[in-house]
Amino acid sequence: MSRLSSIPVRVEGTLPAVGVTSPEPRSAPGSERNGGLGGGVAAILMELATCLDRLAQHEESAVIDLRSLPMSPSDRLELQQALGDGEVQATLNAEGASTLRETQFAGIWWIEHRDRDGELVAELLEVARFPQILGTVTDEIALAAAALRSQINGTSAPAMPRGRP
Amino acid sequence: MMDSTRDPTVGETLRKHGVTRRGFVKFCTATVTAMALPPWMGAAMAEQLRNSPRPSVIYLSFQECTGCFESFTCSFSPTIENLMFNVISLDYDDTLMAAAGDAAESALATAMKTNFGKYVLIVDGSIPTGASGACCTAAGRSAEDILREAAKGARVILAVGTCSSFGGIPFADPNPTNAWPVSAIVGDTPIINVSGCPPIPEVITGTLLQYVTTGEIPDLDEHRRPKAFFGNTIHDRCYRRPFYDAGKFAKTFDDEGARNGWCLYELGCKGPTTYNACATLKWNGGTSFPIESGHGCLGCSEPGFWDKGSFYEAQSTAKWGRAGETSGKQVLELVGATVALGGVLGVGSAGISRLHQTHLEKDRNEDVTKDEP
Amino acid sequence: MNVDLLSFARGPALKFALGIFCAGVVWRILAFCLLRIRRDFNRPRNSMLKYLWTGVFATASRSWPHPEFIKRTGAGEALGYSYHMGLFVVILLFGPHIAFLGSLFGITWPGLPSSVITAIAVVTATLFLGVLFRRVTTPVIRMLSNFDDYFSWFITMLVMLTGLAASAHLGARYETLLAIHILSVDVLLVWFPFGKLMHAFYIFPSRAINGAILARKGAAT
Repeated sequence: MSRLSSIPVRVEGTLPAVGVTSPEPRSAPGSERNGGLGGGVAAILMELATCLDRLAQHEESAVIDLRSLPMSPSDRLELQQALGDGEVQATLNAEGASTLRETQFAGIWWIEHRDRDGELVAELLEVARFPQILGTVTDEIALAAAALRSQINGTSAPAMPRGRP
Repeated sequence: MMDSTRDPTVGETLRKHGVTRRGFVKFCTATVTAMALPPWMGAAMAEQLRNSPRPSVIYLSFQECTGCFESFTCSFSPTIENLMFNVISLDYDDTLMAAAGDAAESALATAMKTNFGKYVLIVDGSIPTGASGACCTAAGRSAEDILREAAKGARVILAVGTCSSFGGIPFADPNPTNAWPVSAIVGDTPIINVSGCPPIPEVITGTLLQYVTTGEIPDLDEHRRPKAFFGNTIHDRCYRRPFYDAGKFAKTFDDEGARNGWCLYELGCKGPTTYNACATLKWNGGTSFPIESGHGCLGCSEPGFWDKGSFYEAQSTAKWGRAGETSGKQVLELVGATVALGGVLGVGSAGISRLHQTHLEKDRNEDVTKDEP
Repeated sequence: MNVDLLSFARGPALKFALGIFCAGVVWRILAFCLLRIRRDFNRPRNSMLKYLWTGVFATASRSWPHPEFIKRTGAGEALGYSYHMGLFVVILLFGPHIAFLGSLFGITWPGLPSSVITAIAVVTATLFLGVLFRRVTTPVIRMLSNFDDYFSWFITMLVMLTGLAASAHLGARYETLLAIHILSVDVLLVWFPFGKLMHAFYIFPSRAINGAILARKGAAT
């Protein structure tokens, strides 16, 4: 099956900067696409600081949907530079690759979810001890235990879902 | 399509198809962010759905072009939206199902009976009532009869596409088949209109997913469309809005303005009066949308869009005459006729006034001669 | 279901209003142009050329008060001119208006940025409010005012306010605001030939004829 990315495209002229940026992740309804509007990086950082306080004092995690905020590409870059990179980076291969990167601020994780075509489907800032999606749930553990025992005993076991190739 | 013992949960079905829990969480997160819902709801939605039996969905297609169904199902490569078919139990769809003829009708009857009161009914296409319903029939029954019967056991109806939501193209003047939207035929069952010609796939899946997760009708506008997707106009979210505000309009499709991406208002863009998510969600997985590709919005998610005049005339233009178009000839005819009428009235009034003037002068002259010694 | 307020406003209602406007304006102009002119038996003090030229000149010269009256009437005149100019700029130089007039007459011309037009419209509406204030607070003008004056003011102001609301998308859905704006223009067009708004057509011949008559009599204008 042919893919969109295999169609040759020749750029003949660039569109003016105002209001046009490409490539740009699609944004949720409710967000501005206007290149001239700033996103208020400082406001986002303040919000993150408040969320970290709540995490520390009440164990409350929070998630900010980056694509719902009015951010120009320069704002996005500024936010990335402000948050920086931490020690941990994880790749999740489930219906496409997702990257989960702890920023230099412990507890703030920058998450990019992509589908099988590499299209960005969600971009989040999660304030938590670790991103919720990385954790394992009880029923999966039970299934895994059963499957492992079966493998050790050499008997047939319920297949562990490891995702489609 | 149906398990004869306990119905498998969504989670079990997903596992069977090799979709992991995390993959499903990702899908739900993408859907809730697209609907501008709080992102944490993605995990909650995934958790709830995983442990629930798959909701029964019956998809009925009537007087339609299958574009809405194509939007829902066919993409250029498997996308995350296709996961929907693991979340729901699509118990009847005459386009996809392998069965045909009596077997298909039997499947529909069984699906409706088994899940009476619980299934989600998705309808695309308008319902023609002309010629006693003969314009659209299946198995000898009219579309109207099939819909009325199916609606009785549905807990909600999703009218997908402008045809089922508002009548769409079949409903356009002169509406030869006497087509009607779902809401004109069904009164008792709650209806959610997901309009568009076709609707954006994420809008269909997002609305369906939200309903099957929460069991509640989302906030709807006055046309019964989910406000999450239809709450803003294209104009309000259009990236070319700065050009509209600056008064920079493309005059033709290949002039300097068009090449520079200026506003398409003067080329007939219906963005200001069209409510949809095209400017934000876009099409083909966020690739582009009509305005970004250089063509004005047609207003396809609005009622009666086909009869609202030319797609290529600005919204501030006059629109009388058949099919809402106004030609220079029509304007000249009107002006000519009314100027002639005004002329007749003017000459008439002047005539009356002159008579009055003559009488007045005559009276004045008589008074003068009377006063003379 | 296909006939909504906007389609009505810019369809049948507009057609009707334009028709009434054209018929009414021609009617009223002809009705006054064809009136009998009382014969002046005096000897003309100037040549016909002179008093024709004075007639034309008077149209301009009477557009501003004589120096003796400026102190009393200057402010009112300035107010009037300001909002008239504002109205013309907004009507003739706003993109969607140009598209509208272009759809009727087949010609278009360049416009001004929409943000500039909005600013001018706001200033014009404020000045127009000042006009009403002046009319109501000045005793002589108030005594001379009648329904015609107030309704003409009201319908013009309504057009301006609904236009501002529509372009700012304030108060209701855009298509409703646009429909109300176009409907108010329709009402204005119907009213135009029958009220004081006809001064748009009368003012020039009126001044010209006065100037010509005075020149024939040898009086200064």
